Amino acid sequence: MRPRIRTPFLVAAGIAGALLLLLAGCSLNIEGQQSALDPKGPIAKNQYDIFMLILYVTLFIFVTVGGALAWVLWKFRQRKGDDPNFIPPQSHGHPMLEMGLVIASAALLVIIAIPTFGGIILKKVVPDELLENAVEINATGFQWWWAFEYPDYGFYTANEIVFPAGRAIKINLRSDDVIHSFWLPKLAGKVDLIPGQENFIWILADEPGYFWGQCAEFCGDSHAYMLFRAIALPEDEWEQWLEDQQRDTVKDDGSFEPLLAREDWGYPEDKILKGAEVFRQACAGCHSVNPRQQTNGPNLAHFGSRTSVAAGWYENEYDLLYKWIREPENVKPGNFMYRGFLDRDGRTVIMPGLKDYDLSDEEVHAVTAYLYTLR
Amino acid sequence: MASTVETEHHAPAPAEPVRDGIWRRPLKNTGLVGFLTTVDHKKIGIGYAVGALFFLILGGIEALIIRAQLMYPEQEVISARTYNQLFTMHGTTMIFLAVMPLSAAFFNYIMPLQIGARDVAFPRMNALGLWCFLLGGVILNLSWFFPGGAPAIGWFAYAPLTDRQYSPEMGTDFWIMGLQILGIASLVGAFNFITTIVNMRAPGMSMMRLPLFTWMTLITSFLIILAFPAITIALIELMFDRHFGTYFFNVEGGGKPILWQHLFWIFGHPEVYILILPAMGIISEILPVFSRKPLFGYPLIVFSGAVIGFLGFAVWSHHMFTTGLGVVATTAFAFLTMLIAIPTGVKIFNWIGTMWGGRIRFTTPMLFSVGFIWMFMMGGFTGIMHSSPPVDAQQQDTYFVVAHFHYVLIGGSIFALFAGMYYWFPKVTGRLMDDFVGKIVFYLMFIGFNLAFFPMHILGMTGMPRRTHTYKSEMGWDQSNFWSTIGAFILGIGILIFVIQAIHAYYKGKKSPKDPWDSRTLEWDTESPPKEYNFPYTPVIHARDQVWEDKYGVEAKRMEKIAPGEHGIHMPDQSWWPLITSIGLFIACLGMVFHKQPVPMTSEAVFGLEIVIAGLLLTFYGIAAWALEGPGGFHLHPDPAEYADAMPAPEDDHGHH
Repeated sequence: MRPRIRTPFLVAAGIAGALLLLLAGCSLNIEGQQSALDPKGPIAKNQYDIFMLILYVTLFIFVTVGGALAWVLWKFRQRKGDDPNFIPPQSHGHPMLEMGLVIASAALLVIIAIPTFGGIILKKVVPDELLENAVEINATGFQWWWAFEYPDYGFYTANEIVFPAGRAIKINLRSDDVIHSFWLPKLAGKVDLIPGQENFIWILADEPGYFWGQCAEFCGDSHAYMLFRAIALPEDEWEQWLEDQQRDTVKDDGSFEPLLAREDWGYPEDKILKGAEVFRQACAGCHSVNPRQQTNGPNLAHFGSRTSVAAGWYENEYDLLYKWIREPENVKPGNFMYRGFLDRDGRTVIMPGLKDYDLSDEEVHAVTAYLYTLR
Repeated sequence: MASTVETEHHAPAPAEPVRDGIWRRPLKNTGLVGFLTTVDHKKIGIGYAVGALFFLILGGIEALIIRAQLMYPEQEVISARTYNQLFTMHGTTMIFLAVMPLSAAFFNYIMPLQIGARDVAFPRMNALGLWCFLLGGVILNLSWFFPGGAPAIGWFAYAPLTDRQYSPEMGTDFWIMGLQILGIASLVGAFNFITTIVNMRAPGMSMMRLPLFTWMTLITSFLIILAFPAITIALIELMFDRHFGTYFFNVEGGGKPILWQHLFWIFGHPEVYILILPAMGIISEILPVFSRKPLFGYPLIVFSGAVIGFLGFAVWSHHMFTTGLGVVATTAFAFLTMLIAIPTGVKIFNWIGTMWGGRIRFTTPMLFSVGFIWMFMMGGFTGIMHSSPPVDAQQQDTYFVVAHFHYVLIGGSIFALFAGMYYWFPKVTGRLMDDFVGKIVFYLMFIGFNLAFFPMHILGMTGMPRRTHTYKSEMGWDQSNFWSTIGAFILGIGILIFVIQAIHAYYKGKKSPKDPWDSRTLEWDTESPPKEYNFPYTPVIHARDQVWEDKYGVEAKRMEKIAPGEHGIHMPDQSWWPLITSIGLFIACLGMVFHKQPVPMTSEAVFGLEIVIAGLLLTFYGIAAWALEGPGGFHLHPDPAEYADAMPAPEDDHGHH
């Protein structure tokens, strides 16, 4: 006779449950950079509140229905010594009880449905009182980075949006290639960027802060590496930022020489000038350093003032930037900075990539240093 | 009882069956020829099951590689592209090649037995379904061996990522054509099951006496025939975009990427119920048996299954809450989605009601069934959460959704299918599976599953998007990912032990009696395994749980048996044409994949449509020959001892067909 497992199912379920709760307790990072459980603005807060409401409603059902299930499994299990031929009463159902449970379920759904409707409206419509001094931003998704335009001020930036805290920010969402999704968990749930379609999201940060966002729709090889950052500034810093961003950072004589005072360059002059030359030859075809112009690649006019590189994947530090330019294929597989752009047939090169330039270590160092003078 | 073959019965019984036609129908029903030409629903069912288990393991290995990659932050176990291919193939494999065909295996094997039929209505079409399923799986997986490798577009294949511009490789074409041929497999199966259930029930088996599993087979089959046309159209449009320069989904030519999403989810959401309703049917068979009580609220369970199926067509846009639908559409789809919680809740209440007051035996199938209820309930709760668009806006495309649908598809479908495999294994093979090992498998799977997928709720709510090759350590997702990977491997070990146990039991298991579980439905009244003709007599049904009534019920509810007439039992003939027709489709699909691809060993030449045309010609030839080989069929005469207690057949009846 083989040994028989008599452990009732409940004990195993209990152990599993306890284990999971323990695990949940020690791994739950509520304040993580992209945690939707740590809302910092009214939309995310509203979404969080509805989530918690449904969580409590379902917990109630779990306790009552799950409790009944557990009790039934315990109470009516076949015990040692029970007559194996016992036949319980063959009851077929109880219509009134069944209908009662249907009505009770429907009632619980109404509790969820009402705030849900409020949440749908809130996400789609900016409240009137906030509309007046709202800031508008156009966001365009690319494989695998973000272009941000401030249409009221006529300048572009990339992979980081900056905005004033306490004001509604209307973001128009577009895509030029495949579908992406704009997601800033602490400020608002996501909305997709779909080619040929104008989508819209609005956000508001209660307080100044630094937020992480990420593309949430699978968009090809480097989808995992398409992040962005959002910075909410106090009103005075926002005004200053706006003014800075509209300033040119390079000479307009085609030399790409930084306008930043030479004593602030922080690197030997010849290194920076060489970097400008490398940039002109290998980078400027795609990357504009004119804040009022958007080309194929991210606008770099004020790159030196940004906090992250490679679409939010790396912090903006010299070594990481160097790595990104030196071996882009290893940082972001399939990226166009390395591969260049092909025609629709997938064969003809329209715009060469870094793989075609074969930059030396020295040249990459030069252009890395140069980029930090763009501020 | 309706018959599929009318012509022959009124002729005198031939001494030798007539087998003529373009290619003579094979007689040998053993060996390779016997398998390739079989029309026996039981052999086809086993074919589905073995194929599905193979693909379940393949998809499982893909999942484990994915989990290995995500075990630690910023790893490079596999490249980003390989990762994307793996999750695409994992999803496609599990849905179309594992769960659906495993359900189809039960439809094929169990459903005719449950209604007392000697086969399905269209036996050759049934064989076509099996071959299309297997060859569809082959096409999909052939992609790994060609330049560019498997598709990296996600199982949902959102346009315009699937456009040649963004996915120039052949992988996407393999995916399109593989799914297309799998759709044929599902459709012919569904038409067959509907016809069988409507027409071939034993005398006395009214619709409201159908076993619940057969009911769910019927509803699922209707869902398949209504849902699959949508994806068929979507796939054809995508094929035209990629091969013939149309612009259904491409903005440059005035197309709309969002069109794909509507078409895909009009199929995709009913598909979810195609995956779960058979599981609910299996559970509704097992719980009464091991509680020794009839199903509580049978009519309401049937009705709620139908309501779930119906509502399944009215909620597709809840997959698209973040695509910028208007307030009205969003609200409508949200509320309709919430409504589905009601019939689903009804089922759970009634399952608890079934066990209430019963005498519960915790056998392996019962453990899996109870595990199903717990896990499905959890998946249902998270489902209610993202029925609310504001909440969904945070959860969509995160690991929260991954947790949700794995609770529904593994904790739900797979657990129920495992319950079904343990439950019906003695019937199918005539051998018992060891209960002790079965329980070890259950506990490993239950613990592994929860450890793998519960932490994903946390990952999702703390911001981890799906379909990402890796993640940064500072996000705080390390621990959950680590434990999730450990859990996935425990789950994998459980499934591995199951496979070993099943193979061992098939050869070495103890012999099973007819009715090892003290069951309630008709399939347990026949031999284990059933003879070729299923029942040597025609059962006349007088009760819902007929076999239970025969054992414990009152005299008036006992089953009557009618002996076969002088003609014996009419059986369908074997045929080559289903296999040949499916090979024609296979060649045509491959031809479409190679269309415009360079011909090997030449410098400039590219494939045109030659292969497609050749494949289609073979397909049409196969269909024509199929039609022209005639209905065929022969008569079997079971040993009279097998129906000793049956009444003689009435004079004018030509026996049980």
